[in-house]
Parts: sequence; C-alpha cells; structure tokens
Amino acid sequence: MRRRQFIVTGAVSSACFLSMSPLNLFGAWSAKDFQQCPIEQAFMAALGTSAPVNSDQITIVAPPAAEDSSLVPVQVISSLKSEALYLFAEKNVTPLIFKCTLQGNVIPWFSLNIKMKESSALYAVVRSGGTYFMTSVHVEIVAQAC
Amino acid sequence: MISSIKVLAMEESGIVRLKIIIPHQNESGTRKDEQGVVIPAYFVREGSVTLNGAPLLDIELGPSVSKDPFLQFRFPGKKGDALKVAFLDNQNALFSAEAVVL
Repeated sequence: MRRRQFIVTGAVSSACFLSMSPLNLFGAWSAKDFQQCPIEQAFMAALGTSAPVNSDQITIVAPPAAEDSSLVPVQVISSLKSEALYLFAEKNVTPLIFKCTLQGNVIPWFSLNIKMKESSALYAVVRSGGTYFMTSVHVEIVAQAC
Repeated sequence: MISSIKVLAMEESGIVRLKIIIPHQNESGTRKDEQGVVIPAYFVREGSVTLNGAPLLDIELGPSVSKDPFLQFRFPGKKGDALKVAFLDNQNALFSAEAVVL
C-alpha cells in the first residue's frame, strides 16, 4: 500500500518537475564570469586560475587579419577529453565571450562569430579532468567596424 | 515572448553537425549612437541543447558575440534523433526550436 502511494507521489512530482523544465534548462547566467575587467581577472573569475596550462592539443582557427571587427569567425578544436570550453578575447571590454559545458559525448569543437574591439590575442580554454588548458592566437583587426 | 531560431542538424558518418542561427541585434552595451548616447546592452546570453531529452550543451554567451549569433557544434548521433534548442536574452525573451537530425 505504502509502495503504491510512493509511486503515485513520485509520478506526480516528476510530472511537476518536467512541466517546469523549459525554465530549468537555464542555469543562472554568471555575471561574475562575464565582468568588464582585464584578461587576468576574467580568467580568475571564470576559471579560478589566472594561468591555465599551455597545451598543443587545442587549436583555434581564426583569420590572422580580420577585415570586419564585428564579425570574426572563430573555430576551436581540441583533442583533449573536455568537460567545458571557453573563449576569451584579451582586449575586449568583457573578455569572456563564450562558455559551454559539454555533456554526453559532445565533441570538443565549436564555431561562432565574434566581435573584437581591437587587435588582440584570443584564448581558448578547455577544462579536462578538472585542469584548465589553453592556447592562444593573435588576430589583427584591419578595419574597425564597431 | 517566444521567437523562432533556425536549427539545422545533419548526420554524416555518425557525427551530427548542428548549426544554430538566432536572429538578434546582439548589442554589446558599449557602443554609442550618433548623439554619443550609449546603446543599451541587448544580447543572447544563455542557451541549452538537448538530444532525445538528455542534456547535451549548456551555453553562456557574453556581449561580444556578433549580430545574429551563429553557433555550430558536433556530437555523435544518428538520423531521426530529436533536438531541442532554447536560448534566453538579457531581457528574458525566450528563443526556442525543435529539430530532427537529417
């Protein structure tokens, strides 16, 4: 008797949980990580370390000279087993651009278009086994659009 | 308010290539108009992707993403898999779409 009761309660509460899911899909956007600050501080806020380990197992594909600063195509690829991916632009007002947590077997690969305030370094950071690894490239802004 | 986004997912040799386009102004909040008045920040800032109901990606975006954010991801999957994609901007407008892997 007790058991039936439990199953019914369980079913009802999981139904409630599911009906809430569209909003539960969103974790709180962390204003702390996306603060306007120098790059070292942004690393510290988002990663808890200001010096991730350099790794050659991460690749950033970006144009060495970008013609439109408001649309710089960036691709990040890693061969490390990754739990989370980050992208920073050193001289942007808000250095952190993109942060993504991977679940299941998502391939550590992403592509997006970003805005850059001026010529600067781009940093891609990967969290693998609790450690942060990074690599960087320099992107020269040829024409200023924004 | 729920607005539409474009989602395209295609499988090729076991890997799904997912493309997401969110039509959005994506103002960073640091630009000024002709009068020198700061244009307020208005950008897509978080999102999630689920595959057959299981969470796949949790995404957070800063103000430096280009207008009409165009995001691409890759993961193992097969044709017919169901994807749900949802994004929220900083004014809490919801953008969502469902797609089937082709």
